[in-house]
Amino acid sequence: MAEYWNVSPGFEDAITRYFTDVPEAEVTLESAIPEKDFNSAGRGSAEVKNLLKRLGVDNDILRRVAVAAYEAEINVAAHSIGGKMTSHIYDDMIHIKFEDRGPGIADIDQAMIPGFSTADELVREFGFGAGLGLPNILRNADALHIVSAKNCPTLVELIIYFTPI
Amino acid sequence: MPDAGGTDHLFHTDMNDEKKQYFHALQILADNCTGCTACVKVCPTEAIRVRDRKASIDPNRCIDCGNCVSICQFHAIIPRSDSLETLNKFKYRVAIISSSYFGQFTEDISYAVAKQALLELGFDEAAEEAMVTDFMIKIIRDYIRANRDKRPILSSNCPAVVRLIQVKYPALLPNLFHLEAPMSILTRYLREKIREEKQLNEDEIGIFLIVPCVAHVTAVHQPEGVYKHLQDGAFSIGMIYGKVRELIKKVQNNPVEIDTYPKGLTWALSGVQAELVDCEDIRALSVNGIENVMDILSRVEDHYLDQYDYIVLRSCTNGCVGGCLNVENPFVAMSRIQKMIKEGEEQIIDIHNLEELYHDGEFAVAPLTARPIMELDKDIKTAIKKMKKINEFLTMLPGLNCSACGSPTCYALAEDIVLGKATIDDCLVLLKRHSKEED
Repeated sequence: MAEYWNVSPGFEDAITRYFTDVPEAEVTLESAIPEKDFNSAGRGSAEVKNLLKRLGVDNDILRRVAVAAYEAEINVAAHSIGGKMTSHIYDDMIHIKFEDRGPGIADIDQAMIPGFSTADELVREFGFGAGLGLPNILRNADALHIVSAKNCPTLVELIIYFTPI
Repeated sequence: MPDAGGTDHLFHTDMNDEKKQYFHALQILADNCTGCTACVKVCPTEAIRVRDRKASIDPNRCIDCGNCVSICQFHAIIPRSDSLETLNKFKYRVAIISSSYFGQFTEDISYAVAKQALLELGFDEAAEEAMVTDFMIKIIRDYIRANRDKRPILSSNCPAVVRLIQVKYPALLPNLFHLEAPMSILTRYLREKIREEKQLNEDEIGIFLIVPCVAHVTAVHQPEGVYKHLQDGAFSIGMIYGKVRELIKKVQNNPVEIDTYPKGLTWALSGVQAELVDCEDIRALSVNGIENVMDILSRVEDHYLDQYDYIVLRSCTNGCVGGCLNVENPFVAMSRIQKMIKEGEEQIIDIHNLEELYHDGEFAVAPLTARPIMELDKDIKTAIKKMKKINEFLTMLPGLNCSACGSPTCYALAEDIVLGKATIDDCLVLLKRHSKEED
C-alpha cells in the first residue's frame, strides 16, 4: 500500500498529537456514498456544512470544509465502487474520513497533479473529471492523508482547524 | 393565490399601528387556523410552528417569501397591505407599478387601459417600473465592472432573497448589488420632480407601490439599508384587482392617450433580466423559485459559481410574475408580458435626471446587517453541547418528518426541545407507540 501525507506548516505537532491520542469526537456524522450516483453525491458534505453553520464556525473555514468534503465525496462517487464518509467534529477542528471499496489509486503522486484524471466517459458527461479534485482538497485542508494501491480500497482523510494555530 | 373578491375586508388592517423590531406583512387569523401544518412544511427558513393547534411565525426567521400564504387552504395566513383610504391623507397621489401587474389581465385589455384604470382608482399620476429598466441594466453593469473583486454580484431586487441572505447566507451580504431597486429609484426621482413642478411639501405627496408579493409590502414598511424616506404604502395586486377590473370596463369605453413602456416589462421576468445584463464581459445567470435560490446561494458560498459575474435571484416562479399576491398563473402572466414586449414599440425616455441623481450617489444603500438564525450559540463549546442534546433527542424520535408535532421535521423538533420551545410529548407518533405499549 502506498501512503501520501501532507500537513500544512505549523500544524505538524497538532496533527501528530491527534493521530497518537485519537480523542473521541463530540459529534459524528456518517453517510454512504453510492457508486456513480451523482444525484445524491454531495449530500454528506452539505450535511457537514449545515452542521458547522449551526456551530457558528467562521465563514472562510466553512467554505474550505465544504469544498474539500464535496470534492472528496465526488471522487468516491466517480472513481470507486462506492464507500462512506465519516465526519468527526471537535470544538476546534473537523476530521473527515472517506473509505471506499476500491479499485484504488495506482499512482497517488500522479493523481495529485492538477489536470490529471482517470475519469471515464460517464463521469465526464456529468461535468466532473477535470482532474482538480485532489489538488482542491489539498489546497483547502490543513492535513491530508491518503492510503491506496491498485485493486485495493482507498482511504482519504483530511483535517481542518476552526481557528488558526 | 388569494381570490380577489370576497377577501377584500381582510386586507384592511392599518399597518402603521404596530412597528415591531421585525415587521412582516403577514398575519395569522387564529380563528381560521386549523393547525394543519401545511405552512410549517413549506417555510424555507423553518419559521413557522403549530402549537396548541395554532400556527405562529417567528419574526426573526420569516423572510416574507409568501409560501405559507399560497399554501394555506383556510385563509388563515393573510397578507397585509395598506387600506386604500390611506390615499386620502395626501394631496398628490402617485402609483408606482410593478411590471408583473400588466400580465394579470386577459389579452383584450391593453397595457394603456390597465394603467388608466389605476389612475381611476384614485391616483393623480402613475409610473411604472418598466420605465427605468434600461437605466437599471446600465447601472447594474457599471456596478459589476466596478466591483470585480466581489464575484458574483447578486441582484437585490427581490426583498425575500435579500432577507434570505441576511438570515441564512450572511457571508454573501457583500455580494449584493448595493443600489436601490427600480421602484425605489423611481420614488426618489418622482418625489423630487413633483415637489418642484407642483410646488408641494414632501408630506403632501403620497407615493405608493402596486406590488405582486408580501415581501414587497414588508420592504415598504421596513426597508433594508435605505438612507431616506421612501414610499408611503403598498397595495397588493390581489387586493385591488376586483376594483381595477370594474374600472377597466369603464375606461375601455373612454380610452385616453397614455404613455406606455412595453419594452421595459422585462423586469418582471427573471430570465429576461439576466439576458439583458449579459454581454461580452459580463456573464449572467438567472435563478427563480426559493428552493433553487437556496441551492445556488449555497454553491456561491463555496465559490463554485465564480464563473458568473451576475446572478438574478427571485424567490417566486419565473420572477415577480409568480408573486403570491398576483391573480394570474405565473406562466400565463409571463407569456402575456412576453407578447407585450414583442409587439410593443420602443419608447424613448429621457434619463438625464436619473443619471444626475445616480452620479450624486442618491441611489446608494447602506451595507446590510446579518441576522443569522443558524447558530445554536455564540460559543462553540456550548453550541456543541446543544448539538449533542439535539442528536440524543433525534435518536428517540421516529424520523418520519410528519410535522404532526407542529415542527417541520424531527430534527427541528429535537432542536425546539433543546431550545425549550417544545417537549418530547409533542411527538404524536411516540405518544401513540407508548399508549399501545401500555395496553
